Amino acid sequence: MDEQRDFARFLHAVDVDGAIAEASHQRQLALSRRGLLAAAAAGAGALVLGRSEARAASGLSANDVGILNYALVLEYLQASFYTEAERSGALSGKTAQAATVVGATERAHVKAFQKLLGSKAVKRPLFDFQGVTEAQQAFLKTAVAFEDLAVAAYKGQAPKLRSSAVLAAAVGIHSVEARHAAWMRELFGVTPAVNAFDKPATKQNINRIVASTHFIVAHPKMKARSKPQYTG
Amino acid sequence: MAPTAASTTNSDGRRSRLALIVTGGVGLAAASPFLRPLLGMGTADAASKSQDLRILQLVLQLEYTQVALYEQALKEASLNGQLRDFARTALKHERQHLAAVKQALGSKAGPKPRFEFGSKTKNAEAFRQTAIKLEDIAVAGYNGQAANLTKPTLAVAAEIVSVEARHAAWVRAIAGEVAAPDPVDKPMTASEVSAALNEIGLRTS
Repeated sequence: MDEQRDFARFLHAVDVDGAIAEASHQRQLALSRRGLLAAAAAGAGALVLGRSEARAASGLSANDVGILNYALVLEYLQASFYTEAERSGALSGKTAQAATVVGATERAHVKAFQKLLGSKAVKRPLFDFQGVTEAQQAFLKTAVAFEDLAVAAYKGQAPKLRSSAVLAAAVGIHSVEARHAAWMRELFGVTPAVNAFDKPATKQNINRIVASTHFIVAHPKMKARSKPQYTG
Repeated sequence: MAPTAASTTNSDGRRSRLALIVTGGVGLAAASPFLRPLLGMGTADAASKSQDLRILQLVLQLEYTQVALYEQALKEASLNGQLRDFARTALKHERQHLAAVKQALGSKAGPKPRFEFGSKTKNAEAFRQTAIKLEDIAVAGYNGQAANLTKPTLAVAAEIVSVEARHAAWVRAIAGEVAAPDPVDKPMTASEVSAALNEIGLRTS
């Protein structure tokens, strides 16, 4: 399993001062090893089937709906992360500017997928970023990890899409995630483009990594934290 | 399309994979004698190995242009600091991309073009602006062909395009620019890419 080793190495390399590992230890109401979509569904209550806009996803195959919902969960994760970081007031300078631009883009991606999927779109899960949105270095390190993950995830799924139209949209988002990854890496002070070829990642590997962060939670937190938490 | 043991033990596994996918082993290049002119390539065609080869001719020009720009700028533009680091790293990557595409095309690979970059490689900022343009063209060019490629070739192209996108963001970020200005990257058609490469300095005649 070269891929798993690569990702273990990648996470280790990215997790320079241990924020992601720390976050894992602080888990509360963790979803341990459940799949990303299962986690999203649990966090949201259920898939919102047939509630409104039944039209939008009508032309899509079940295969493509599954892939798009998987992408949507990753976009929810990113959008919520940047929004929370922006609102925390902990970012400054070029990092604050980048977070604003990238956050707006990730929110646009969420909207686009929701529109495309219509009533078949999974609902936004609940997130607890466990403090990484409240300090600039922890934010940057997590952003690098999220963006590199998103690039690998889109790359893994793009060849599996059946619809040419959906594929065209997905590749246009895939390369934007790569731009984000490079940008966050530059701000964090690591090489923006390590290899000549970027590797894909399987859904299973992405799920494992996201689950290990415990950023997706099943229930809202009961205790108030020192700073307000946002899920928008 | 069963890869042979010999071809998969290449020292660069990536290259041999792309070559195998596109040529399907032996004889495919010979099986497509009617290479349509690149610029007439339609987007409604079903993906096929012969179409992959036509698309790779476009990709070959992209990669040749990138290698040439970085080589020439490193010689002429008095680059230093972060911009020189960027140019060296990008050149290393583009050489690997070019090698992979050349190997995939085999004897069908078009000749190395000439380049007239003019003032674009003569100073650091002119080079930086040109690098942004060229990397954006590469991203748009690969993205524009995604739906036309067979799935195995698409998988390899996807490993390249995100690296071009990283370069584009990197060279913007070096100057403190917004590194990812658009929410979705717009694709370019083959003819748009060719025109844009000519504008940068590619000469095919």
